[in-house]
Amino acid sequence: MNSVGWLALLAALTAWSQDAREIVAEAQRRSRAASERYEGTLQVIDARGRITEKRWLYYRLGSHGDSKAVIRFTAPAEVKGVALLIINHPDRASDQWMWTPAIQRERRIALQDRSTRFFGTDFSFEDLEERDVNQYEYRLLGEETLAGALCWKIESRPRKTRASQYTHSLLWIRKDNYTFARIENYVRQELVRRAEYREVQNVQGIWTPRLIEMQDLRRQSRTLLRLEKLAYNLPMKESDFTLQALRREF
Amino acid sequence: MRPAPVLVFALQLAAQDFMQRGFIEMRLAGFPQAAVNDRGRLIASALLRYEATYKISSAWRLAGGVEARTDSHHQTQRVWSLSWWDRERQRPAFAVRRASLTYERPGVTLELGKQFIRWGKTDILNPTDRFAPRDFLAVVDNDFLAVTAARLALGAQNNTLELVFAPALTPSRVPLLTQRWAPLPTWVEVRERQPQYPPGGQFGARWNHVGRGWEASLSLYEGYNHLPLYEVRPVSAGLPVRIEARRFYPKLRMYGADAAVPLGPVTLKGEAALFRSPASQTDEYVLYVVQAERQAGEWLLVGGYAGQTITRAQGPPGFAPDRGLAKAFLGRAAYTIDANRSVAVEGAARQNGKGLWVKIEYSQALAAHWRATAAFTLIRGDQADFLGQYRRNSHFLLALRYSF
Repeated sequence: MNSVGWLALLAALTAWSQDAREIVAEAQRRSRAASERYEGTLQVIDARGRITEKRWLYYRLGSHGDSKAVIRFTAPAEVKGVALLIINHPDRASDQWMWTPAIQRERRIALQDRSTRFFGTDFSFEDLEERDVNQYEYRLLGEETLAGALCWKIESRPRKTRASQYTHSLLWIRKDNYTFARIENYVRQELVRRAEYREVQNVQGIWTPRLIEMQDLRRQSRTLLRLEKLAYNLPMKESDFTLQALRREF
Repeated sequence: MRPAPVLVFALQLAAQDFMQRGFIEMRLAGFPQAAVNDRGRLIASALLRYEATYKISSAWRLAGGVEARTDSHHQTQRVWSLSWWDRERQRPAFAVRRASLTYERPGVTLELGKQFIRWGKTDILNPTDRFAPRDFLAVVDNDFLAVTAARLALGAQNNTLELVFAPALTPSRVPLLTQRWAPLPTWVEVRERQPQYPPGGQFGARWNHVGRGWEASLSLYEGYNHLPLYEVRPVSAGLPVRIEARRFYPKLRMYGADAAVPLGPVTLKGEAALFRSPASQTDEYVLYVVQAERQAGEWLLVGGYAGQTITRAQGPPGFAPDRGLAKAFLGRAAYTIDANRSVAVEGAARQNGKGLWVKIEYSQALAAHWRATAAFTLIRGDQADFLGQYRRNSHFLLALRYSF
């Protein structure tokens, strides 16, 4: 066996020996960016195949458990200006407020309300949080190939300190670029939501899925979120991620 | 010919800094029962609202909005002028809804101009919401009016101090005396004199604390009530009794507090305010709301109680829908059927059973820009009760809105 072959074997053995937490931590490390911005195009497809389109702007400052994000709808016209502020914490669930311009009020989304769908999409409020690796415990279940990509299959369970609507989740992480390929979320033994990550592209050195499909298996509906005009590490201000900032547009 | 790249870049930047939205809405309200002072059973109305914000620089931002409206029942003026102060008896045909300039830097926000200022945390009734006058022309289908003020917000996310100064009072718009939402007895004829607006300004301060999962605020307001009392003078004693009435806005000081605390399955929200006044002809009272809120699946459920304790009772007649909803159970339930359809029920039931208001609303998006809404409002009760006095005003409402 030549040296390249030995190196490949060594790499494979190293990968096998990685524990599940290290894999998720590496996936998190590789996706780290100081900030992120994209324009999201959403297609909500209900059980009868009817399609509703929405658009939002997404801004994030910071990364993984120590970040702040604002999602602001730009379409359809009747929800333009509706916004969600998410303050992620490393050691606990995020704080979230939703701004409704029609009544000029923000409303805090309580922890027990996070399983609710976010504004008619198939994402729940909790799904919009950025999850830090240390808030879960992990178990490596094996390997599986998804859409031609070899993946680690990992089970994650929220630690007691963290309240989650999901009892546990199954994660598929691609071995070639450490991006998520699929996440299945369970309530007890029932699979309730499945997220598929597709069209992975390298954007400014970060492998990023440009299309996310979230399925709500109870409602038999799904939402396709396409990330357009995606950019990382743009200059952003802390003061744009406050309740005052949430109120200022409309 | 292709546009110059510099121009394209400039246009893209401008597009990011400029946001606009608006709608045109046609409404039809129908009243099955006749009112003693109003023969109108059907009221058609149309409203055009346009709002825009423009980010001048990273620190400065402009926000503006205008409205144009008309209706079939003379609730709207037939005058070609632009209203700023919203003091007209009828709704103005053309009005500046909002026009403000905002300056921001870390920890400081200053907004000057006509703007919306909302205080409090509860739904349906907010005792501490003192800078939020409303258009009460149709009492139960009301809408907020902006106030002209300077608002300074200091602090970061966890502790914010908001200071507000409004140089002049923006009063709530009260029901027209010749229409069904002013249910006067047939033997009384009222002539309304020019209202007496207070000369001074209003000041408010609110400190808001965001804790781990909970929030609380303390607030202080020194100014005038945006809801009027009436100075009444008899003109003749024979039938019908003729009287002259004049609206005035008494001095008011409010000490308020509100909080939202998640408690396991529900979020508990409370809001209370003590109202005092140096004006001897005014009631002094405590108004409070306690409510539980839960969002579960497609449901949003809110239920609570609004109470009032009068500490000094000597007020002349007035129009006070906030106090009119006190000593009542309040509730709201909304269900999202799917991405386009929703249904909601909200209402208030007086604890002594003498007043009831229930509104059922179904709403459906018809296409990307269109939404249709159908609602029915049931009002029942005794003539002497605030809600009950409108018992002949149960009505349906159909609305078609084009948003852009």
